[in-house]
Amino acid sequence: MTQNQFTKAVGNAGEINDLLRRYGVKFGIYKNGVFNEQFFPFDPIPRVITARDFARIEKGLIQRVDALNAFLYDIYHDKNIVKDGIVPDDFIYISKGYLAQCEGITPKNRIYSHISGIDLVQAKDGEWFILEDNLRIPSGASYPLIARELTRIAAPQAFEENAVVDNRDYAQMLKETMEYANCGGIRAILTPGRYNAAYFEHSYLAEHTDSVLVQNDELFVEDNILYHRTYSGGKTRIGVLYRRIADEYLDPLTFLPESLIGIPNLMEAYRSGNVGIINAPGNGVADDKGIYYFVPKMIRYYLSEEPILKNAPTYLPFYEEDMKYVMDNLERLVIKDVAEAGGYGVVFGSELSKERLEEFRNTIIAEPRRFIAQEVIDFLDLPIIDNGETVMRKADLRAFVLSGKTTKVWASGLTRFSRNPDSFVVNSSQGGGFKDTWVLSR
Amino acid sequence: MKRVNFCFSTKLTFDDYVHDHSFALRIIPPQAESQNILSCSLNITPYASVRQTVDAFGNNVTAGYLKDDHRFLDFELKGSAEVDCTKYRTDYMPCYLYPSEYTIPDEALKEFYRDHQGDCNATARDRAAYFSELLSQIIVYQKGVTDTATTAAQAFALKMGVCQDFSHILIALLRMDGIACRYIAGLAFCDGETHSWVEYWTGEHWEGIDPANNCPVSDDYLVISQGRDFRDCAIDRGVMYGNYSRQLQLVRSVLS
Repeated sequence: MTQNQFTKAVGNAGEINDLLRRYGVKFGIYKNGVFNEQFFPFDPIPRVITARDFARIEKGLIQRVDALNAFLYDIYHDKNIVKDGIVPDDFIYISKGYLAQCEGITPKNRIYSHISGIDLVQAKDGEWFILEDNLRIPSGASYPLIARELTRIAAPQAFEENAVVDNRDYAQMLKETMEYANCGGIRAILTPGRYNAAYFEHSYLAEHTDSVLVQNDELFVEDNILYHRTYSGGKTRIGVLYRRIADEYLDPLTFLPESLIGIPNLMEAYRSGNVGIINAPGNGVADDKGIYYFVPKMIRYYLSEEPILKNAPTYLPFYEEDMKYVMDNLERLVIKDVAEAGGYGVVFGSELSKERLEEFRNTIIAEPRRFIAQEVIDFLDLPIIDNGETVMRKADLRAFVLSGKTTKVWASGLTRFSRNPDSFVVNSSQGGGFKDTWVLSR
Repeated sequence: MKRVNFCFSTKLTFDDYVHDHSFALRIIPPQAESQNILSCSLNITPYASVRQTVDAFGNNVTAGYLKDDHRFLDFELKGSAEVDCTKYRTDYMPCYLYPSEYTIPDEALKEFYRDHQGDCNATARDRAAYFSELLSQIIVYQKGVTDTATTAAQAFALKMGVCQDFSHILIALLRMDGIACRYIAGLAFCDGETHSWVEYWTGEHWEGIDPANNCPVSDDYLVISQGRDFRDCAIDRGVMYGNYSRQLQLVRSVLS
């Protein structure tokens, strides 16, 4: 199908964007301490992935997430990968995502990352590269879901003419994943409230997985069991909690005492095996930008397999050899601060002035563990409609991998694009838009 | 080896009713090579249903929840133990080698460490004794100038503090020195409150040193909890709802 045919098929993008507005599909961001809800602009031209391409991506992602889950179990138990010298100690224990409080805890079925959001880009030669793993609380699945629903309303013929895999099974997959982690009780989705960037998504997913949407003041732990307070004054046991708040805020009696959005003693209930937490606390140690470098090694170590999907070529200034390379090539590399997320702390050497480049060089020498350097991948640009014209923009793909009884990849994903023609950063918090992702059935 | 009786109580009083009070106590001393707990009982008033778990650092956690209105909460722990500091614990964790929340060295602490590095090849025991001796010369034991939120860097800047501060500073120095060490909360003789000291890893086992008194730990010390720093060892932590504006905590401990 050509672009024009498609544009015709969907008709007016404005119609879908109007529907999205009406349904309240928004994305909240904090800027200078002020909360703003932004409309997350939808582009009608879908990213199309062929069945053959998807089969390979699927295999590669399953392999990667299985290895990451094995790594998380290992790190919080025997630490064999460290003892065997594959990953240096420093990369584990200095990582902000490593939570010593989680040592020795074994979640049900040893699954730590139930919902993984893996970011990929496609290079101009067609090859896919992994850009980042998100194993804490990856958001974004609801946007393509609802966009697809609305596109089906606005342009039903597009789906009659094209063999697109139905993506409406995400909620069912999520429900099954939650059930597999359930320790006996109802399913609940914990939101920090409507001033959270992804509140729209929390309520959408709760509705579609038959879970209760809860805030912390409706929950309490008694006898190491998590309960939901009911309106009639009773209590209902929660067996699995899909929490959409960060680890540090989860339990004020274990983590940050000043947290007002957590549930006291939740960690005791979790440690006792009385409630499943999705995703497991402590996963940050595996999706740290510094650890990313080691994921292909993990695949070989835990699965004795060769990685199917490649990492973007990455250098760790921590290693002497890599430091030399980074120093020699700084002006053409992209440098990422391992402690930052959401597109923050990403610096393109090519965009720095001579003085800034020198300054940055010294920062890297002073704190080599804090940075990774990557080759800038020449991603494949995707067409988007801008003021009625088709223009090409950088885009990535967040694929969602769900780990339950088996590990599955959702046959869709969130394609984010940069609206700025010169930008490689596509994060929604940086003002990008999104597209639907079509996986073809043939 | 010494047989000791211990008694520890804390009284929390609020100036108005509170409810939905969740608490986590790290108050029951761990059974270990160096301390054989012969008897131990914990009383909580008003009555609260509790559950016991063991946390990542090996501490006994007593978690409870009081739904109804109350204006006070009392914990009383009583028991006896055989303490033998010549027997060592071996429960190592790699995180004890890295800076933690309360023990991140600032520039002043780093500089102090560089200026007083001394003989880096000495044993962990000698290094701990050396730094403890240094601290006893420059830090003044003084109550009321620091609190439970004071970090090693802050106490070091003040050059004053209590046992908790001495422990945090010593931990910061030892970790810069590449020696794994941990914070201990416990009971010691001649102390009406809880005490704190440090354990360092010799490569094979843990040994204790009391930097506030600049002496090695003896059979007069009973471990209650341990962790990377005070944050992991807080004897009681709680969250409650209500219109109270003040809470008063009285702590009393006896080791005899």
